[in-house]
Amino acid sequence: MSDLERELESELHRVLDPVAAMPIPPRRTPIGRTRMRTLVGGAGAVLSVKLLTGVAVAAAAVTVAGAATTGSVNPVDWGQQVSQHVADCKDKLTDGQHGIGDCVSSFESQHGAAAVASGARPSVKGGGSSNAHGNNSNANGHAKDKSKDHPLPPKTGPTARPIEPEPSDPPNHPTVTIPPQR
Amino acid sequence: MTPEERAAPGPYQPGSEADFERLYRNTYRRILGTLITLVRDRATAEDCAQETYERAFRHWRSWRPEASVEAWLHRIAINVAISDRRHQSLRQAGEVVRRLGRPAPGPDPSAMAERSDLLRAMKKLPTKQAAALVLRHYHGYSNREIAAALGIPEQTVASRLAAARKQLQAVLGR
Repeated sequence: MSDLERELESELHRVLDPVAAMPIPPRRTPIGRTRMRTLVGGAGAVLSVKLLTGVAVAAAAVTVAGAATTGSVNPVDWGQQVSQHVADCKDKLTDGQHGIGDCVSSFESQHGAAAVASGARPSVKGGGSSNAHGNNSNANGHAKDKSKDHPLPPKTGPTARPIEPEPSDPPNHPTVTIPPQR
Repeated sequence: MTPEERAAPGPYQPGSEADFERLYRNTYRRILGTLITLVRDRATAEDCAQETYERAFRHWRSWRPEASVEAWLHRIAINVAISDRRHQSLRQAGEVVRRLGRPAPGPDPSAMAERSDLLRAMKKLPTKQAAALVLRHYHGYSNREIAAALGIPEQTVASRLAAARKQLQAVLGR
């Protein structure tokens, strides 16, 4: 053994032997650290922030839409106004007439315009589904909500379509004769 | 087999938390001793020792009882020390940038007390060379045991020891 090796051994023992007299600290448990890292940092934190942001944006959108429709920021008022109007529409129904779609649609078109302008509602139906003759009867004379016969316009995302005026027939419009079905 | 392993009441059972706790009690001081020669100060060595046992515990179920458990722990500890040295280099670069224009802080008396020229010289060696020195000249491992602990050929251990001694002599001027 060389002098360097002897010196190395004695020096290492001089420095490291006192370590053997030190008390042993408690072992660090890895579980707590891992969970904290998951919650506080990294992908967990990013996901939490995104979720909270999404919830906040959704809540804000609902509040704006409701307030624009009813003029009140209280959600209870929104429900009450709509319920009240639906009840009124039912009362207005005459005997033999079914469906309150037109009535509710007119309410929506009046109060929903503000919501459309604010971008809170992606699409709004046009001014009801009445035909040119001013009633909802079909050719056989049965009252029916015509909105079921017409397909809804395709939703094109958040861009609202401009509301077009209802088509109207000219005064001298000829009577249409529907051939009998086979 | 180390004195601690000989004194143990029985073989360690892989996956047993109680046995791992016993392993920790039996080997902590020797692992800490190795790490003190490899990293910059005692506080860092203690942190690296805890990191070593955390990593070991994660793989405790897959440890094979026929292998020397202390050699296995030393292998993990040396890898932890290598990682710490890499991070330390980055931290030092950041410190230099932060301290530009300011006076450097004075030496820590408690850290200076345990330092010696030889130990300072060892800390300048590559981690694997310093680890071979401390395993050989402090823990008393043979070249074969060091080779088994580090997972390298015996010849590589011999060459690392020779290179480490040569560099120490150059640093100490002998």
